[in-house]
Amino acid sequence: MPPASPTTPGPFGSKLLRKSSRSMLGMDPQKIIKTFFGANSGITIVVLVLIMVFLLREGAGFLSTYHHELEVYRKAGLEFCDIADTPLKQQQQLTSALRRAKASAASDEAKRALGDAEEAFETAIEPADEIVSELKTHATETKELANEFHTLEVGRLQLLAAAYSTSDPTRKADLLKEAELSKVDAPNYEERIAAVIDRREELAKALTDYTTVLGTAAVALPDAVADVKTAVPAHIAEVHAAVKKLETWSWQEPVSFFTAARSFFFGTGWITNSSWQDFYGVVPLLTGSLLISLVALLIATPISVSAAIYTNQFASDQEKEIIKPVIEFIQAIPSVVLGFIGIAVVGDLIKGVSQWEILSWIPGFPIQERLNIFNAGFLLAFMAVPTMFSLAEDALNNVPRAYSEASDALGATKLQTVFRVIVPAAISGILAAILLGLGRVIGETMVVLLVAGNRIAIPDFGDGLGVIFQPAHTLTGIIAQELGEVSRGSSHWQALFMVGILLFVISLSVNWCARTIAKRFEHPKA
Amino acid sequence: MPETASSAAQHAPVVQVRDMDFCYGSKAALHSIHLDVEYHRVTALIGPSGCGKSTLLRCINRMNDRVAGARVSKGEILVKGKNIHDADVDLTQLRRQVGMVFQKSNPFPKTIYENVAYGLRVHGVKDKTTLDEAVERSLTQAALWDELKDRLQAHALGLSGGQQQRLCIARAIATMPDVLLMDEPCSALDPIATLKIEELIAQLARNYSVVIVTHNMQQAVRVSDFTAFLHLGKLVEFAPTEELFTNPREKLTDSYLRGTFS
Ligand SMILES: Nc1ncnc2c1ncn2[C@@H]1O[C@H](COP(=O)(O)OP(=O)(O)OP(=O)(O)O)[C@@H](O)[C@H]1O
Ligand SMILES: [Mg+2]
Repeated sequence: MPPASPTTPGPFGSKLLRKSSRSMLGMDPQKIIKTFFGANSGITIVVLVLIMVFLLREGAGFLSTYHHELEVYRKAGLEFCDIADTPLKQQQQLTSALRRAKASAASDEAKRALGDAEEAFETAIEPADEIVSELKTHATETKELANEFHTLEVGRLQLLAAAYSTSDPTRKADLLKEAELSKVDAPNYEERIAAVIDRREELAKALTDYTTVLGTAAVALPDAVADVKTAVPAHIAEVHAAVKKLETWSWQEPVSFFTAARSFFFGTGWITNSSWQDFYGVVPLLTGSLLISLVALLIATPISVSAAIYTNQFASDQEKEIIKPVIEFIQAIPSVVLGFIGIAVVGDLIKGVSQWEILSWIPGFPIQERLNIFNAGFLLAFMAVPTMFSLAEDALNNVPRAYSEASDALGATKLQTVFRVIVPAAISGILAAILLGLGRVIGETMVVLLVAGNRIAIPDFGDGLGVIFQPAHTLTGIIAQELGEVSRGSSHWQALFMVGILLFVISLSVNWCARTIAKRFEHPKA
Repeated sequence: MPETASSAAQHAPVVQVRDMDFCYGSKAALHSIHLDVEYHRVTALIGPSGCGKSTLLRCINRMNDRVAGARVSKGEILVKGKNIHDADVDLTQLRRQVGMVFQKSNPFPKTIYENVAYGLRVHGVKDKTTLDEAVERSLTQAALWDELKDRLQAHALGLSGGQQQRLCIARAIATMPDVLLMDEPCSALDPIATLKIEELIAQLARNYSVVIVTHNMQQAVRVSDFTAFLHLGKLVEFAPTEELFTNPREKLTDSYLRGTFS
């Protein structure tokens, strides 16, 4: 068919074109129509780029802000206090274990022995504890000074900037004067940290003394608290390690940007709005997201792939007519409604089932929390099924008929043809479908926010597979939950944008992988 | 080939199409076809496009079962004397007896070895040496062994078009069928690849009875012993190739061969 000549449009075209050519100032109407369609596809690309630029701009400041905060954390001595605090926290755990043992002890004699031990533990730590809490107060004061200075400094710089950009000389003078007035000295870290350094030896001695006392007290512990008894040597080693660290610690050691980046990407704590120190470590959120996605994937993959194989290869036309729309209908369920179901139905159901005696062999059963990783993963699987099903079905559909024909002609049964020829031929498409389902699951927000339990902590992998019955928080959930409440431009705000960037990068790479896999094994054109 | 000629004489036709009508749903495609495929001979089916050559070919291994509503409405087909529509016929077994090569080469996206071994595998052969031997024999018979023996584990889709088609032939003969059906096996190939396949067909006739559909008269003359001319779903003339091409009995055949066909 020869291409339609642009100079001789049909009757309909000519009418349309004549009309537009009049209103379009004599520009070539064909060109305009082409530009219009081209522009629309261009817009999507532009929007994508804009999103990336926006995310990057908001997140870009994060590293320097966080770097500054970590610098203050070190210079003001908070880091020092945290090092000293670690053994103290452990000590608290040990004593509370003793206290629990005491409460459940059978005989009065045992109660007394445990009570004595507990008291010995408490008195031993007291001197160190006192020193640390004094140092903490001091460090917090330094930090406040630093923050105050920072705020004033930022204000002053703004005034100066305004002054230099104005052309009105009187106003300029006013601004400069104001800036001059708001000028304060930077906190003298050296002077302030001296108070901390001065007590370093004292603290080290207090901690070492503590370990000696603890060592003897532990020997006297009754066998009823064997776990505490065995924990003590490890604890003592920790204390010694902490003491070593305190001795080599220096407030002047520079904090690199790399440290800030590492603290974000590999930090194990996401601690915000703390009166002590905020940390933006993304690991708990990342593990939460990954675990939930993994559970979702493990549930959704077999369901959607086998449904796709059945529908594409075995179902009668009537069955197809039912299965396809029903599965696609799932997509129409608003995710917040699924969240409801997760809270109201699935949570109770899982918890109820987990209490059954015969299922107690499953790791993590009986479960404590109704809202947990498994619950969220289960619902997300539900959301991923339509995507994975349709794409996997497409992949099977794209397998050239010639393959199944050849297999049939060789005397293969239907099952043999499906599983030896068609599924292997479609496997790349099926893998791509699974990956795109994963992309969908990672980005999903509402369900995880409602159902995952929102506990910001790395799940306890000591539980083995039972880990999936613990609550968790996610990359998406944290943004949805916190972004509305933080002040614009703060480090917390920027940290959330960094999380957004991370999420974006993950989704992009998952999509990219899916595309590459699908491309890699394209069928020859039939 | 004197030895094949003498052995052929002792055999009844491998495929006997007896007065068969065939229709796709309500649309009749073949009318009263009566045709014998001689043992270890090449039978060519020729005729204008849409006359029903492929349909007839695909009746013989019941590939038309894949088409909803397609059925033999009258008559019967016997393969080695057995009616292939009998209730006790195992389709798997029938297709093991009657192999097929398609117009467009369609090797599986697997290795060369797996392609050839596929037919045996689906029939339950697991023994490695049996498979190895069958692969070597089939590739040799398909004149591919020397070319490919060092790259049996290479991907089949990396072969040239002609090699792929010969691989499909090797795959079809791996199960040692009695009959080999070929539907325009050279139509997608260049002249040299075509020549190779034609030579191959002559070789294959020693071991197999071949039915080939072709649009190329010269090819029919070159490769076949018998030729059937179909027109509008009817078998117009069926005779030894030489006779049909030099001295056709029907006027229709004559005008088709001369190209003065209306
Ligand atoms: N699956 C089908 N469903 C319905 N009608 C069909 C089907 N396949 C073929 N036909 C019809 O049957 C008739 C014979 O077709 P067939 O494919 O056997 O012709 P052919 O001789 O092989 O033609 P060609 O030389 O073009 O391959 C044609 O009219 C065709 O339209
Ligand atoms: Mg045909």
